[in-house]
Amino acid sequence: MSVNAATVALGDGAEAHQQLFASRVRAGLFALFTLISLWITTSSSGVQSNFSLWSDKIGGTNLPFSVPVDLLWGGVTLIFGLMGLFQFIRGAAFKWRLAIGLISPLLVFALLARLLDGTTANLTVFFTSTLSFAIPVGVGALAGIVAERSGFLNIAIEGKLLFGAMVGSIASSITGIAIAGPIAGALFGALVSLFLAWLGIRYKVDQIIAGTVINIGAVGITSFAYLRILQPYSEFNRPIGIDTIQIPLLSEIPVLGPILFSLSPYFYGSVGLVLFFTYMIYRTRWGLRLRAAGEQPSAAGTVGVDVVKLRYRAMIIAGLLAGFAGSFISLSGTGGFGINTSAGKGFIALAAVIFGAWNPIFAFGASLVFGMATAATTLLSGLGVGLPPQILLSIPYVVTLIVVAGLIGRVRAPASAGRPYDQG
Amino acid sequence: MNTLRQFGSKVRVPALSIFVALLIGALFLVFTDIEVLGMLLSDPLGALALGFGRAASSYSALFRGAFGDPANFSKALASGDVQLWARALRPIVESVVASVPLIFVGLGVSVAFRTGIFNIGGAGQFAMGAVGGAVAALVFGAGVIPAPIAILLMMFFGLLGGALWAFLPGLLKARVGASEVITTIMLNFIASQLIFFLVSNVEFIQKPPRIQPVSKELSQFVDLPGILPIASLRLDISIIVALISAVAVSWFLFRSTRGFELRAAGLNIAAAKYAGMGASTSIITAMLISGAISGLGGALVAVGTVKQLSPGIAGSVGFTAIAIALVGGTRPSGVVATALVFGLLQHGGSLMQVETSIPIEMLLFIQALVIAFIAAPDLTLGILKNPFRRRQVKAAK
Repeated sequence: MSVNAATVALGDGAEAHQQLFASRVRAGLFALFTLISLWITTSSSGVQSNFSLWSDKIGGTNLPFSVPVDLLWGGVTLIFGLMGLFQFIRGAAFKWRLAIGLISPLLVFALLARLLDGTTANLTVFFTSTLSFAIPVGVGALAGIVAERSGFLNIAIEGKLLFGAMVGSIASSITGIAIAGPIAGALFGALVSLFLAWLGIRYKVDQIIAGTVINIGAVGITSFAYLRILQPYSEFNRPIGIDTIQIPLLSEIPVLGPILFSLSPYFYGSVGLVLFFTYMIYRTRWGLRLRAAGEQPSAAGTVGVDVVKLRYRAMIIAGLLAGFAGSFISLSGTGGFGINTSAGKGFIALAAVIFGAWNPIFAFGASLVFGMATAATTLLSGLGVGLPPQILLSIPYVVTLIVVAGLIGRVRAPASAGRPYDQG
Repeated sequence: MNTLRQFGSKVRVPALSIFVALLIGALFLVFTDIEVLGMLLSDPLGALALGFGRAASSYSALFRGAFGDPANFSKALASGDVQLWARALRPIVESVVASVPLIFVGLGVSVAFRTGIFNIGGAGQFAMGAVGGAVAALVFGAGVIPAPIAILLMMFFGLLGGALWAFLPGLLKARVGASEVITTIMLNFIASQLIFFLVSNVEFIQKPPRIQPVSKELSQFVDLPGILPIASLRLDISIIVALISAVAVSWFLFRSTRGFELRAAGLNIAAAKYAGMGASTSIITAMLISGAISGLGGALVAVGTVKQLSPGIAGSVGFTAIAIALVGGTRPSGVVATALVFGLLQHGGSLMQVETSIPIEMLLFIQALVIAFIAAPDLTLGILKNPFRRRQVKAAK
């Protein structure tokens, strides 16, 4: 306790100094980005990028249009310039996170336009694949938020996604019922999460190590089961895919209908979950206790909250969410489960948690940005644009890295996330 | 006698962890066998007999793959023929070869763990070391530079590649508190894409017909000398470098001031700061050293053992290294011993895969169990001690 107090006392001045330093660095970075986008603007004068939209339904009537690339990049340059300026003037108080959140869709779009190179990009495909990529990441991030708000550092989202994907695919294949997939995935995720909580709470295993156990075990078990069972007996890996649904009336809206209202039920479910948990975390007694357990468990314990039970429950909920998100990966496409099919999405979800500052809605917004980056990558590699696929494929990981680095800046995690709780 | 007992108490939990994990692995093998599961209702005893019989034969393949076939040894003893000896010894030598990357990355990861950094980017740092070593081998190994110097340069650039790949997460952790778990994992993905890019787009690196995504044969440029009298057994100087690295890490961590500072930061970063040790410097130094050791391993393995650079060069070495570091108590001697055991499992597992088509991925499951047991010593000791402890309590009453 005394050590903690000492660091707080020591930290204050140092913290402020560090924040000022960080905001200067950010301002410098924004200035650099301004210069780069200015260079791109001037070098792309007169270049047109061709887009199209499906106005009535997926694969329906084409609405082609073109945008001058230098106009887009001019906008990007202007906003980056303003961001740098405000950052410099306002220092640490500048809401840079929001600013980045707002500029990044435009930035991805401008990059896409610059790289199109004469080919035509279908924006309906672009937006729908953005949304569908955001599902596992956004719901995975929600799982991370619920767990970490309760004080349990949940780095095992990746593992639970993998388990959810495999179990969901098997359950759907065996029963032949579409809804069995997500349900089984969620339940198995909860089971795994319970095991993780048991290691971390009952045996006080370091939560990062416990999460690593799950992540390594998930890669091992799912790859093993795939090679030993799902591959030779492929009838276990032919899930009933969950099809997109057309929402009556709304899906008839021109342009927006095919993008927003003809999606997988997973998407609407995910949005519902995000809204539901935002309400639960900030507006209910359960949420208040959850946050208290994550911030100051001893205080929560003193007023009679059973922190241990609360953390177990939060971990089960996190497992349900992550397993559900995982089942989307194997059930949304046609291929079923494949080795390492989650491809780091669980870790990208962790980055979304950080970028969203442990708020479900912001984290979902962050996963939309990741979704855009990935959608742009897929679109460009599908169009056969000059860049080598390996560079395109690593873009989501690079973006995650940049986001976690927070462009130099700290967000405050729940104070007790990662610390075991002693119920004296 | 006392030292023996001390040794016993040190080894007990790790050994028990590995043993119990292997037992659970056997159960896992039985209950993922579709034929056994199908028979389980109609003929449960027969099903279990079949299942455990198969598991036993899988494990027997694993042990023959790890240590060698006793039949081959007796043949070799009887005839004394060099060829037969080579055949008998090959499995165990290959197991040692398999443990070389594990020693390096296990050591690297241990240095980070000791400083309180959970570096799970061992695979990426190993891979970038392989890139550094491979490129250096291609540049310097063309014949102008004498072989020993080319080997040294190759090792140096491997070191550099790994250190570079670990520097960024270290810097981010120290300066902005970015979680190393996420940054190192992302860098693992980026490293393997980068290698993919290099070996499929760069003419200087890619193998001549330029169809497959692999590099040129590196042993044509730099050839690591073997250390065994039988030429067909491929154990090269990398094992010696690995052991020297272990001694160096041991000296560094436990005998040098800087090492003391790292360990202090790992034990209690607030107290270390209070005592005037730069926490940021400790974090960055630890990551640089950690990455450098993994990178050195990557260079030696790519050039000496695999003799090629390919996107999958690191495999699951990063995960295995975590298990090794924890089982070995993040102590260099423990890491070397555990890496040898895991090397045996690894090479044994590959024979098991060939003979009984049990996927080698099963080892990852076993490693996860081992980490869980080591990280929860109460759980492990509970399995070992409980029956005895109860009796003792009763006797005391």
